[in-house]
Amino acid sequence: MSIMEYNGGSVIAMVGKDCVAIASDLRLGSQALGISSNFQRIFPVTDRVYVGLPGLATDVTTLRERFRYRVNMYTIKEEREIEPETFAHLVSSTLYQHRFGPYFIEPVMAGLSKTPSGGFKPFIAATDLIGCLNFAKDFVVAGTASAKLFGVAEGLWEPDLEAEDLFETISQTLLNAVDRDAYSGWGAIVHVITKDKIITRTLKGRMD
Amino acid sequence: MATADGGAYSYSLTVFSPSGKLVQIEHALAAVSQGTTSLGIKASNGIVIATEKKSSSILIDDSMIEKVAVVCPNIGIVYSGMGPDFRVLIARARKSAQAYWKIYGEYPPTKVLTQEIATVMQKATQSGGVRPFGVSLLVAGWDTNRGPSLYQVDPSGSFWAWKASAIGKNMVNAKTFLEKRYNDDISLEDAIHTALLTLKEGFEGQMTEKTIEIGVVTVPTLEELEAGKIGGETGRPKPTFRKLSEEEVRDYLAL
Amino acid sequence: MNSILQRYSGSNAGGLSKSTIDEDNDFSDAMWGSEAGFGTLAKGVPGFVVPSVPDPAAFLRLHTDDHADPSCRIKIQHGTTTLAFRFQGGVIVAVDSRATAGSYVASGTVKKVIEINPYLLGTMAGGAADCQYWETYLGMHCRLHELRNRERISVSAASKYLSNLVYSYKGMGLSMGTMICGWDKTGPAVFYVDSDGTRLKGDLFSVGSGSTFAYGVLDQGYRWDLTDEEAQELGRRSIYAAGHRDAFSGNTCNLYHVKEDGWKFIGNYDITKLHYEGPGDVAGSPGHGYGYDMRVEGRSSANPPEAPAQA
Repeated sequence: MSIMEYNGGSVIAMVGKDCVAIASDLRLGSQALGISSNFQRIFPVTDRVYVGLPGLATDVTTLRERFRYRVNMYTIKEEREIEPETFAHLVSSTLYQHRFGPYFIEPVMAGLSKTPSGGFKPFIAATDLIGCLNFAKDFVVAGTASAKLFGVAEGLWEPDLEAEDLFETISQTLLNAVDRDAYSGWGAIVHVITKDKIITRTLKGRMD
Repeated sequence: MATADGGAYSYSLTVFSPSGKLVQIEHALAAVSQGTTSLGIKASNGIVIATEKKSSSILIDDSMIEKVAVVCPNIGIVYSGMGPDFRVLIARARKSAQAYWKIYGEYPPTKVLTQEIATVMQKATQSGGVRPFGVSLLVAGWDTNRGPSLYQVDPSGSFWAWKASAIGKNMVNAKTFLEKRYNDDISLEDAIHTALLTLKEGFEGQMTEKTIEIGVVTVPTLEELEAGKIGGETGRPKPTFRKLSEEEVRDYLAL
Repeated sequence: MNSILQRYSGSNAGGLSKSTIDEDNDFSDAMWGSEAGFGTLAKGVPGFVVPSVPDPAAFLRLHTDDHADPSCRIKIQHGTTTLAFRFQGGVIVAVDSRATAGSYVASGTVKKVIEINPYLLGTMAGGAADCQYWETYLGMHCRLHELRNRERISVSAASKYLSNLVYSYKGMGLSMGTMICGWDKTGPAVFYVDSDGTRLKGDLFSVGSGSTFAYGVLDQGYRWDLTDEEAQELGRRSIYAAGHRDAFSGNTCNLYHVKEDGWKFIGNYDITKLHYEGPGDVAGSPGHGYGYDMRVEGRSSANPPEAPAQA
């Protein structure tokens, strides 16, 4: 059995109009056995960047601490908050550093990046477990339900969704996709990042 | 044993003299002030760094000599002092910039790179078996965070940001000259001319495109910035630091 | 390993004919037409076409779901929870409805209780097709038994028929774990039969990947003198527990109750609805959701009950 499927779980991120959303299910399993329905795998990096870490649960914790360390060092050294693009590169290089003994995590990032003119631009990205970056313009998925998420997102996503519509789209996509995945589910959490606030909601999902 | 030249303390780098000095560092500064003059001026829309390059013999092919060095597309450095030490530092700085790029996908901000070089120079004041670097540097660069910035790094590893500064043989006079000439809204073109005028003070011999080196930082426009972002056509940022060609230097000298 | 040996020794696996001709040609034209129709049992069951290789079982194993080979082509459904228990009021049969292929939830509406005849139920775990085919086939023979002997077949006999049948195919890759449940002269009866040839008589069984979770609830709540309502609730609650915890079980619970006059379908319950709201207005309902959070609402560490006022 694949180690990537040992604990289960999935993450998706979507681009909207001047906003981005990132969402994950809340299941932590041990193969077929469900352990927890409140396992957080999405973490804030800055006020405007979130990262989701689907994969092996032990590596979720380790990598989260590793990124926290490296982002804190960056913030202090450079006297500024890390931009989403820069963070994505940091994630990628951290993972590739472990090319021959990887962390079993496929990170998903979502955030708003500063434009030279002072505005904000939606940014999403995902990498594989050894750091191959994928900058998408619409949505990115990862985790045990990734194939199903791709399918549903392909059908539901449309460009320039406002924050509330994006919330509805990402929630429906996630909830319906994880219902077709044995290793994901047991509730969900959604974050919508807009330029002046972050909306976080916990969703009830199927409990089987 | 305390003599005028530092005596017993002057050879052991890691030992303070009773007066609290590390004499080797002062000797290094002395080496710098024997070097050719270099200067930097921050303008409202860019930075200029310039130096004279003097050859000890007319037989030397001066096209080989490089005193203004490009570190990465947004940062350049000029020095006064010992050429070989500068070469080593530039190699370290370039490596450091590329290592930063490998991690973050962008080149370092000027301050971060300056800090990096300063750390290397500081190490040479505290490690066994080495001597301090015999150079002072003027680091000029542009980044999204702080815009154009000009730093001076000394052999001790200390560094400061300047609006304008000079190092090397004629630094005292040059600084006085710059203090008189400088104002906050000087344009890059004016700054280049001021730089040349400053160098002219106390310049030995003829000032030509062969004996002058100039590097400039230009602040990119909003459009250039948007195009340089990820997803831009080349995927590579347009350089904001460049060295002026001999033709360009000649044109500035002619004016 | 033994293919060369078998090729020259000319032995056949399990006495099955290695037919290479088109199976439809085994029937005359008349049989397809009005004379008797294809449904006739004149020839018995249509035989199985076996791959014309020296060792058909080994050949099949290459392509079907083997525990040692997760990358095989044909996935056979393994994840399931089924249970059946005998009590004073008859037999309760409860199953989930999820079908998975790897981690993919292929269906959430599978009927895992096979209605063999009005007095017999079979449960389905393992290969869906194997269970469906052989339990239907068993139903056919139960009817023949009735016609021949003018009385219904006992659960014991029916289950033994099935067990002997699958035993004859042992090693050929059949995959079944089933409970044959019913009511006969002896009263309520449950037999466990699997494709290894095991046949067990007992009061209480659960089969499938979620069986451990079901057993947990079942063992804790089981008594012979359960009322009908209590028994149905226990079956429902056990399947819920498995559906909740086991990734390969879930979606809905199908509940049957076998009494003296035959089986009765009690209902279909959504596992998630059971979690949040409970079974609704049915006999034995606790009146609230089965889920932990619903049960401990106001009584957990996160949301503790009010401390009694000090005197």
